[in-house]
Order: sequence, then C-alpha cells, then structure tokens
Amino acid sequence: MTPLDAAHVATPGGFLLVLAVMLPVIAVLLMLAFGPRQTRHIALATLAAGLLVAIAIVAELLRSGDALTYVVGGWQPPLGIALRADGTSVAMLAMTALVIAATGFFAYAQQRLDPATSHGRAPTSFWILLMAVWSALNAIFVGEDLFNLYVALELLTFAAVPLVCLDGRAETIAAALRYLMFALLGSLLYLLGTALIYGSFGTLDISLLSEASVEGPVFPVALALMIVGLLAKAALFPLHLWLPPAHAGAPAAASAVLSALVIKAPFFLILRLVLDVAPPQTATYAGQLLAILGAASILFCSVMALRQARLKLMIAYSTVAQIGYLFIVFPLASGSETLPPWGTIVWTGGALQLVSHALAKAAMFLAAGAIAEAFGHDRIADLGGFGRALPISAAAFGLAGLSLMGIPPSGGFIAKCLLLTAAVIGGHPWLAATILAGGLLAGGYVFRVVDRALATPTIPLAPRKPIPRRLELAALVLAVAAVLLGLVPLQPFALLQIGRPNSLTAVAP
Amino acid sequence: MSASGLLLAAAVQVPLAMAACCLSPGFRRRVPFLLAFAPVPALLAAFFSPDGAFVFFPNPFRMTLTLDRPGAILLGGAALLWSAAGAFAALYMGRKPATIRFAVWWLLTLAGSLGVFIVGDVVSFYLVYTLASLAAYGLIVHEQTASAHRAGVVYVVLALFSEAFLLLAFVMLAATHPDANPLIRDVAATLPASPMRESIVALLILGFGLKMGLVPLHIWLPLAHPAAPMPASAVLSGVVVKAGVIGLIRFLPFEAGLPIWGTVLIAVGLVTAYYGVAIGVTQTRAKTILAYSTVSQMGLLAVLLGVGLENADPGGTMLVAYYAVHHTLVKGALFLAVGILAATGGARLRPALLLTAILALSLGGMPLTSGALAKLATKPVLGYGALSYVMSLAGAGSTLLMLHFLMTVARDARRNPDASAPPGQFLPWLVVAAASLIIPWSLYPAIAGEPVQSLFQAEALWKLLWPMIVGGLAMLIVSRLPKLRGAVPEGDIVVLAKAGGPSLNRLLLGVQRADTTLRRWPVAGLGLLIITALLAGALMLGA
Repeated sequence: MTPLDAAHVATPGGFLLVLAVMLPVIAVLLMLAFGPRQTRHIALATLAAGLLVAIAIVAELLRSGDALTYVVGGWQPPLGIALRADGTSVAMLAMTALVIAATGFFAYAQQRLDPATSHGRAPTSFWILLMAVWSALNAIFVGEDLFNLYVALELLTFAAVPLVCLDGRAETIAAALRYLMFALLGSLLYLLGTALIYGSFGTLDISLLSEASVEGPVFPVALALMIVGLLAKAALFPLHLWLPPAHAGAPAAASAVLSALVIKAPFFLILRLVLDVAPPQTATYAGQLLAILGAASILFCSVMALRQARLKLMIAYSTVAQIGYLFIVFPLASGSETLPPWGTIVWTGGALQLVSHALAKAAMFLAAGAIAEAFGHDRIADLGGFGRALPISAAAFGLAGLSLMGIPPSGGFIAKCLLLTAAVIGGHPWLAATILAGGLLAGGYVFRVVDRALATPTIPLAPRKPIPRRLELAALVLAVAAVLLGLVPLQPFALLQIGRPNSLTAVAP
Repeated sequence: MSASGLLLAAAVQVPLAMAACCLSPGFRRRVPFLLAFAPVPALLAAFFSPDGAFVFFPNPFRMTLTLDRPGAILLGGAALLWSAAGAFAALYMGRKPATIRFAVWWLLTLAGSLGVFIVGDVVSFYLVYTLASLAAYGLIVHEQTASAHRAGVVYVVLALFSEAFLLLAFVMLAATHPDANPLIRDVAATLPASPMRESIVALLILGFGLKMGLVPLHIWLPLAHPAAPMPASAVLSGVVVKAGVIGLIRFLPFEAGLPIWGTVLIAVGLVTAYYGVAIGVTQTRAKTILAYSTVSQMGLLAVLLGVGLENADPGGTMLVAYYAVHHTLVKGALFLAVGILAATGGARLRPALLLTAILALSLGGMPLTSGALAKLATKPVLGYGALSYVMSLAGAGSTLLMLHFLMTVARDARRNPDASAPPGQFLPWLVVAAASLIIPWSLYPAIAGEPVQSLFQAEALWKLLWPMIVGGLAMLIVSRLPKLRGAVPEGDIVVLAKAGGPSLNRLLLGVQRADTTLRRWPVAGLGLLIITALLAGALMLGA
C-alpha cells in the first residue's frame, strides 16, 4: 500500500476545489470593480454559490468514495501545485461554508438595520475581508504543499487581523496589533521550519515528505518550529495572550468567523504535520506534550471564562478552552498496526469537536451580537430577563451551550463521549478527568448566561431598538445544526476516512 | 410497530411534542389546561403494555424502549402523579404569562422523568436522565425569589456533577462492549466481570445517589423542593428523585450480586434514613419537612437496594419499585395537601386535615395504608436480625417526622380564613390519595406472594404498630424541646460550603492573576521559546 498517492492524479470533480478557493477571490475582485453600492449583493451571491460548491464537493466525495484531487496546470509536485480534499478536508470545507454563509446572512441583516452606514467603509471592508478569509481557509483545507499552506496561512492572518478593528476604536486597534504581532511571530517560526525542511529534503509536498527518510536532528527541529508557530496562531494556552481582546472586541459577525473558523486552520495544519508528515512513533512524546497544553487550556481558560463579566469575553475564553479538547486528541489517536489513527473513534471525536465547536461558537457570538445590538452592552450581570426580549437568541445561546457542555443530544456530546471512551480504553484517567471537569466548568459559564435569560427582574429589560427576527435567525440555525450533529453514530465515521491511507506500516522508516 | 410499542413511544413523544407546540400562540394559551393529559400515554402504557414490550428506533435515533415489571409499576405511579399534579397546576399557577414558561419546563421534565423508566439503551438513558435533570431547574427557580435562585444554583451544580459521574460510568460500562450503544441489561450483566468494576459501581452510586439525595449528597433536595411551586414540588419529590432509584435498579447487577457494595448501600441508606428524620424534626416549614422526609425515605430504598445487591436477589428490585411507587403517590399527595391546606379554612379544614393525617401516617406504616403494605412486603428480605429492627425504628422515625409535619400544617392552617380550595385542586388531590391506596393494595398479592388476608393477622399488625407507638412517644419528647425548632438551617451541611468559599475565591483570583501574567508579552515570548525547545526535544526523543 502506498502511503498517500505519490503521484497526484486529478479526479473528475477536482475542479470544484479550485472553484472553492477562487470563488471568494473573484468576488473580491468584483467588489473592488463595482464599488461599495454593489458589495453586499455580490457577497450574498457568492455566499450562495459557495454553499452550492461545498454541497457539490460533499456529493462528489460521497459518489466517488475517494479523495478529490486537482493538479494545477497538470504539473506534478514538486514542480506544480496539487489540491486534494479527503473526507476530513471536505468536512472542514462544508463547515466553513455553512458558518460563513450564516455569518454573512447575520451581517447582511445587521447592516440593513442602519441604512445610513450600510455602504460605508466598515461594511465594505467587512465583506472583502470575509471573502479573503473564506478563500484562505479553503486553500488551507485542500493544500498539499507546505509553502502554499504558508501563503494561505498568511493570507488568513492578514485578512483576519483587520476584521478585529473594523470599528476603529482605539482598544480594538490595540487588540488587532497584539494579534498581528503574535501571529507574525508564529509565521516566522513556521517559515523557519519550512526553510529547514526545504534545505534538507528539497521538497515541501506533504505526500513526498511523508515518504522521505528523516534521519538527523533537522527534521524534528523544523517540525517543532512549525508546530509552535501554528500553536501561536491557534492561541493554545499559554500562548493565548492575543485572543480574548481580539475576539471579544471584533464586531459580532467577525468574532464568529474568527473564533469558529480562523483558529481551526492552524490546528488543521498541526494535525497534518503530526499525522501525515511526522513519522508515527516520533509523535508519541510530542503528542503528550500537546495534550498537556490542551488539558491546561481546558481547565485554566474555562475558569477564566467563568470569571468574565462581559459576555463576549466569556465566549472568547471559552474558545481557548474548547480548542484544548482538540489537542488532547494526539495521545489518544495513537492507532495501531491494523488500525490507523483515522480509523479510531478519536479521529471522529476530534473532528466532531472541531465542527460542533465551530457551529456552536459562531451561534454564540451571533447571539451575543444580537444581544449587544438590542441592549447596547454585553455585561452579563445587567442582562437579567433578556430571554423575554430576545427569545430566539436566548434559545440559540442555550442550544449552543448544550453542545459546549457536552449534553445530549448534540455534536459536542458525541465528541466528548467518543474522546472519553478513548481515554478510558487507552488508560488515560487524567485526560478523562479533564474532559469531565471541562464539561462541568462549561456548564458553569453557560448556566450563568442561561440563568440571566430566565430571570424576571421587576423592571423588564427592554431593547433600545427593535431587533428583527432575521437577525436572530442565523444564530439559531447554527445552534440547531450543532445539536443535529448529535445524530452522528457513535462509531468511527466513514465520511472522515475517505481518501486516507488505510495503513501506516508503509510509512515507518 | 405493535400497539404497546406505539404507546411506549408516545409516552415520551407526546409531552415533547406538546412542548414544541408551545411555539404556536394558540396552543400556548391552552397549554396549562392540557398538562394533565401529557402523561396519559405513559399511564396507558403502564397498565396495558405487556411485560417485556420492546421497541427499537434505528439510526440516527438509536433509541430502545422497553418495559419490565419494576419499570411499569414506577411508570404507572409517576404518570398518575404527573397527571394529577398537572391538573392541580392549571388552577394553582393561574393565568399569568410566566405560567406558559412553567408549562414548557414542566413538559420537558415530564418527558425525561417518565422516559427513564422505559428506555433500554445506555445513551438514551443518559439523554432522558439529563433532560429531566436540567429541565427541573426551570421548575425550581420559577418563583424567582432569592431562595429559589440559591436552590437553583445548588441544584444545577450538583446535577451537573451527577451527569459527569454517570457519563464516566456509562462510558466505562460501554467501553468493553462491541456495540457503542449497548442495552442497559447487557452492560449490567457484564458489569461484575468488568476490569473497572469497582470504579464503575462507585460512580453509579455517586451519580444516582446524588439524584436520590443520599447523605451527604442530599443538600440540594431540602433547598429545591420547597422553593418550587406546590405542584412542581410534588413531582420533584415524588417522581424526579426516582430517576436515581430506577438508575440503580437498572444498572447494578442484581443477578450476580456485589456483596461489598451491597453493604455500602445499606450503610449509606441507614445513615440517610436517620439523618433525614433527625434534621427534619428541627425544620419549621411544612415543605422542608416533607423534603427531609423524602431524603429519609430514599435512604430506606437504598437499604432495600443494598440488601438485594448483597443477596444477589433480582426479585428484590420488584419490592424496591413497590416501595417507591407507594412513596411517589403518598409524597405527591402530601405536597398537594400543603397547597390545599394553605387555601382551606373553616368547616372544610377538618376533613382535609384528616386525609392529610392518614397520608402522612402512611409513610410511618399505619395499618391498612399503602405504607403498611410496603413495609410488610419488604419485611421478609430484611430478615429477622438487627437490620429488620433498625429499619422498623427508622419507620418510627418516619412517624415522628410526619407527626411533626402534621402539627406544623395544622398550626399554619389555623389562621386561614373561612375559604376552600377550588374543586379543580381538590379533585386531583383526592385522586392521588385514592390511588395511593388502590394501586398498592391491588399489587400486593403479586408482589408479596401472599394473600391480602395475611395483612389482618395480629402479628402483622403488631409489627406495624410498635414503631408507630415509639414514634408517637418520641414526638411527645420532641415537642417539649422548643429549642429544636429551627436549630438547623435548610440544607444543613450546605453551610459548610460557605466555609470553603474564601479559599475557592483565592484560587479563582490566583487563576486570574496567572492569566494576566501569562498574557504579558515577555512571558508569552518566553513560553513560545520553551514550548519550541520542549517540542523539539520530544520529537527527537521519539525518533
């Protein structure tokens, strides 16, 4: 069995991957060409088209039962560029399309609330940046080459940073700068690692690298540099200094995209580095180190979330905590001779955690956005009774909270259940305890908000302006999607394994 | 799907569908008056489904419903109380906007709490158990007073702990099974052979014990049950605590037995039974006294479960269910009685008090009542040694506590104006009170294996009467000790949690300070370097 196909062969549906990456880029060009008045309409059309492309990609994957591949210009790597989407990548593409579309719909509805500024600088920039983020995310999920991935990651960072400071307040600009500086530090480390690898092996194609013999210290050092660079961008504890102010300060729609999707891209790359590039046994200790950081992230940042006075800061800290769950996957997903990591329940659990967190977190930020729009602030203590004024947002927040807490029926429950099962079977009692403790703490911080929603203060909380239903609907759709993920069967999910090699033995040096 | 299967499915789906229908404004207005009908499918299923009825919903729902004898007994009693309490609530809660919200939480709790008696697979059990647990929060905090809020917080924290213990236990149980979502009876059968047996059983007892209110995990119960509106207290104390009982019945391996854990359950149960009485007699509010009585009664149930587990006696679970259904109906009727007595004065007060007294003394085992039947039916399994006497004395404690309750409600009702609770409230109360007599009598021959006539023998009567006399004498002593009244705050040891408050606060502040430090540039930069070095080292070590 060859590991990943050494030579990339374009598949019939491969052009869809190009479309997924290029469609938002075309939209940006059109927006620049037609000016601010048409921006929103182009954006809406692109959102719909992008959603269709994502659906087509899923359908094509299910039809062919194999990964989608496209070789740009017919040039084989290492000279040319290959795009490849296996089951896991396709799941990421679909998740991205759904979250972006819902967020875009929210932003569209929010901008219509205020017709005076809806063609202004901030809304126009928002749409352009959103499209850029989308393109970069798709490029990362289908990329096959470490340098192209670097380029896509940079594009992602440079599109995400201005999203933080769209409103131009001094504090958000400070937060954006903090984000930018730390992300650049991460980029430098990643680039350094890439250079080291290119110097030693003469290729950056992931499939070719996975076959290369990796003697000597250069490879581990390069890998460590790249992974830490990505950790900085993923804001894993203790490298989360930039995330809370950035995600809490950004406009709601931007926060949703940043928290749900943007930090998942570096994690996805770490996953590929550890599983596809690093030889299996080298990753054992590194995986444990990542899991320790992940567990610390869960416990520490959940407590921080519990202590926040502002809703958006609470959600932001919860993001750092939930990211931790993704990193405890590594020691659990060790796999075996007969069962590769992606055949285990951990792979499914990790992927489900990633997707359900994306949906739930985006729903929470959008609900928080509607709350802030209605009451002009997001101080949790002063929100008593907001459930009566904004029932849809309160329901969306509660449903999304179920998923974060890991309460059935929800995608978060299945994810936590699978990870917990793996921890119990694999004999990792501390990881099992961390997963449960994280769930309890999440219950605490979600409950604080739900409690405010149900409260009935003597003077009912009245919104300062009417909030149309459609503004609240996007959050509800995402939250319901997160809950519906709970219908995924409790076993290794076949879709995620499509296109993964089914044995690791050939890779072992 | 067979007719009985449809009924089982409807038992859970009808209340859920009604909750969903509350999205429609037309239905919303009527929903308080429909609450009484939500448990009707469950009631029909309990009476008409054959033993061993079984339905399976394939993926993606992967839910199995099944009904066995203990489940049917508990389901019938619970559904009846839910229905009567629902009719009571329609009038009691009044036409306020908040009543609709109350109705939604009511329906969700109802679906979950009836679901636990009929689901057959592990994941669905966790689902309905969680539904009942979390939705009950809405009932507890409904009145939005400071004490309701405090009770709600304590309740949610403990409920989440219960969920966490159980999730771990269930995952450990299912881990050794080929099927990711096995049937409960399969995992219970293989539990004694599981390599993680001790931790699984410990987690199960912790998780379900929390729900039952076994000491020292009972603190939420005397806070939450009195805080809720009257009909909600009735179902919380009557039905929702039984989720813990059915959990232990379903998951513990009674076929194979676990003697050590049986002894643990007996010990915990006895402590709980006496502790509930001891704290209960110091209380001054009628609903709190009833809540402590529930704690005490759950202790007695734990003893029965422990005896069954010790003797590897699967038939013991039937007796537990029988005792539990007696408690469900009587305790439910007593909570409704508190509501009735609060609104009744004058000539109607005396008969109402009399019926309340009969119900209350039933818990102490007064002859001819359901309590007497429950106590006599369970006597044989307790043996004739010390345990039997200790349990009889606990019965004396129940009598004492119930006399204290009766004196409290009679004193509270003395100031009532000459009025009467509306018939819409009287009727459900009378129905539950009658059912608490009829259901246990009709089940007695099948459960105890002896004809009803044996109940009238002098020996049987004496077994019931001497604990009551002891309880009565104890009441005489207790009533001469005025200092006892109000000596222990509601929720007793929950005040200990306050003592831990400052150190917890220090810990949280420490975390906050650490976060501020870690998020400073030099520290984060250093962290970046250290992690790179560690990771490179780890990768080299592995190569």
